[in-house]
Amino acid sequence: MKVLGHLLWAAIAVLAAFCLAGIAINHGEPVNSMWMVVGAACTYAVGYRFYAKFIAARVMFLNDKRATPAERLRDGLDFEPTNKWIAFGHHFAAIAGPGPLVGPVLAAQFGYLPGTLWIIIGAVLGGAVQDFVILFASVRRDGKSLGQMAREEIGKVGGFTAMLTVLLIMTILLAVIALVVVNALKGSPWGTFTIAATMPIALFMGVYLRYWRPGKVLECSAIGFALVVLSIFGGQWVAASPAWASAFSLGAMALALSVVVYGFCASVLPVWLFLAPRDYLSTFVKLGVVVALAVGILFVRPELQLPAFTRFVDGSGPVFAGKIFPFCFITIACGAVSGFHSLISSGTTPKLIAKESHIFPIGYGAMLMESFVAVMAMIAACVLQPGVYFAVNSPAGVVGATPAAAAATISGWGFPVTAADMATLARNVGEQTLFYRTGGAPSLALGMAAIFARGGGGQAVLGFWYHFAIMFEALFILTIIAAGTRVGRFMLTDLLVHMKVGPAKPNRGIAWVIGTTLVIIAAWGYFLVQGVRDPLGGINSLWPLFGISNQLLAALALCVATTILLKMHGPKYMWITCVPLTWLATATFTASYQKIFSPLPALGFLAQARQLELGPQSPTTQELIFNARLDAAVCGLLALLVAVILVDSLRVWYGLLRGTRDTRVSEAPFVPSRLQPEEV
Amino acid sequence: MNPVGQASWPFRFCRFLLALLREIADEGAYGRHLSALGREHSREEWRRFSERRLLAKYARPKCC
Repeated sequence: MKVLGHLLWAAIAVLAAFCLAGIAINHGEPVNSMWMVVGAACTYAVGYRFYAKFIAARVMFLNDKRATPAERLRDGLDFEPTNKWIAFGHHFAAIAGPGPLVGPVLAAQFGYLPGTLWIIIGAVLGGAVQDFVILFASVRRDGKSLGQMAREEIGKVGGFTAMLTVLLIMTILLAVIALVVVNALKGSPWGTFTIAATMPIALFMGVYLRYWRPGKVLECSAIGFALVVLSIFGGQWVAASPAWASAFSLGAMALALSVVVYGFCASVLPVWLFLAPRDYLSTFVKLGVVVALAVGILFVRPELQLPAFTRFVDGSGPVFAGKIFPFCFITIACGAVSGFHSLISSGTTPKLIAKESHIFPIGYGAMLMESFVAVMAMIAACVLQPGVYFAVNSPAGVVGATPAAAAATISGWGFPVTAADMATLARNVGEQTLFYRTGGAPSLALGMAAIFARGGGGQAVLGFWYHFAIMFEALFILTIIAAGTRVGRFMLTDLLVHMKVGPAKPNRGIAWVIGTTLVIIAAWGYFLVQGVRDPLGGINSLWPLFGISNQLLAALALCVATTILLKMHGPKYMWITCVPLTWLATATFTASYQKIFSPLPALGFLAQARQLELGPQSPTTQELIFNARLDAAVCGLLALLVAVILVDSLRVWYGLLRGTRDTRVSEAPFVPSRLQPEEV
Repeated sequence: MNPVGQASWPFRFCRFLLALLREIADEGAYGRHLSALGREHSREEWRRFSERRLLAKYARPKCC
């Protein structure tokens, strides 16, 4: 039986290698997406069965006889021993945001291969390891946060730097995802109406839950979902009506200002009235769409139209500038390695873990699932004709300001497309135009709509599915904006209290709430407006900034994880986290350096400022110059913050290796578990 | 249910799915809250529970 098991795992490993080699070597003819799906699934299985199990058994010594914080500190609310698969679902729902969907779509400009390999290998060796070790560390430390662990394991500098880094990342994240929504909705009455309709629907749900049917969240979410689907049909009617269509056709700047106003209102309104019902709805829609996309891909088995590599591996890409190394590894953060996950792994999830053995499937397994979502997003982008992909994702500043000019430029790159093809496609999905829709969301929606429509209904339902996908993306991005602005307010308050600025009392009054909210809104709103005004489309500068900041947070999490492993075992197993840390630090610092100092204006912020200085001067040019320098400063600050953490960590590791520092781990003491099997 | 009283797998899967959805919807936590405090469901109780729950939930960053 044991031999049979070995043979089975050997076959799975061979199949993984065969499929990955198949997509890597097979050039020149369309590749079926199933090669990617099977290759990814088999690699995940091997990584989970062997690598993660090795870490769990040899490094962590997961012990079910040890009571977890969920059992010891049980309060029925935050700390609660929860069924393994329910905690898994909860954790997955919390880590799956827009990142794994948008990043791979943008990185598809290099072709399907580099991004796919990074998603699969990065997740198995880096992202899942980070989530796993941080979750384990937090469970062993009473569910402490990453910042608290950084303070305890590395030192006060690490703790404070972590706090500041997270606030900066939040600001960039909110700006860039807001820009994704703006670019998806500009000039789209159908999409704008549908998203506008989700606001009164959320308010209705809030009142329903508070006064009519308190506690009936599932029932209320089902009603909300039905209303949202109705609003998609309503959007089609709005787009067909000349009077209503013009009312809901907003330009990029008008949409950006609307998102800023929305962000303010949504984050200061009572949570029960707007944010919470919207969040419930968006979580259910998100999970439903991820499952539907997986089923759709398995059912339709589409062929990939983008090549394995495009000519843009040389760094001249229209979607964003920069070569495969380091920019592929920066663009795809969530889906391969995401620093943000460490906040979830040291936030809600450790308080739900009933048994230590559950850390294994939840910490490692959920990240593999997120990686699989990223693979599906890559497939959805790559089923588009390359000409269509580049027409949708390239800014006017790169390809030309008219459809004919853009089509000619893109065709000149070897990806044939005509303005007439694009007009027909736009008509089929109920849009006025699909040119210059940078940000990834529209091309992802097109790919998803193509897959769903091939599952049944054909061209007749293409418009519905396109707008359903846009609604799904915008719904949960706008929910993250509302929640993120609110959290940013709390973080700013913590930071100010830490710096002894502002009142330390818990209830600081409405003026404080409005003031701190305005500061956060102004911060991400500024970057959003900057992105809208950027002639290169905004994504070119903001997405790499977001990717860099997210990977830097991962570097911080891996520093904490390495310190903990070093204290537990000495240098024996520190390679487990040191290898991904070294890779991330190399890629991220290289990307930061190139974004600041590259002499190419399309890539380097300072070169861009210098080029603008040489041209004709106007107030707009002055603003663009200032923005380029600001982006360079933010990029430099992020790199500096993480350099501080790295140096601080190296100092601690040196002390640990030399035996001059205390190697005691700050774990909670062992308490035997008394949890009965029926309790979980 | 099959003859020996064990639930069939589709039934168990549906039960798991419902439990997961209830957990994401905070209905599971609300049920635990009621049983832990020995209280009955009411509008005021839901309000008390959800205010405390949501306050903690939206003080933490959401993932990207």
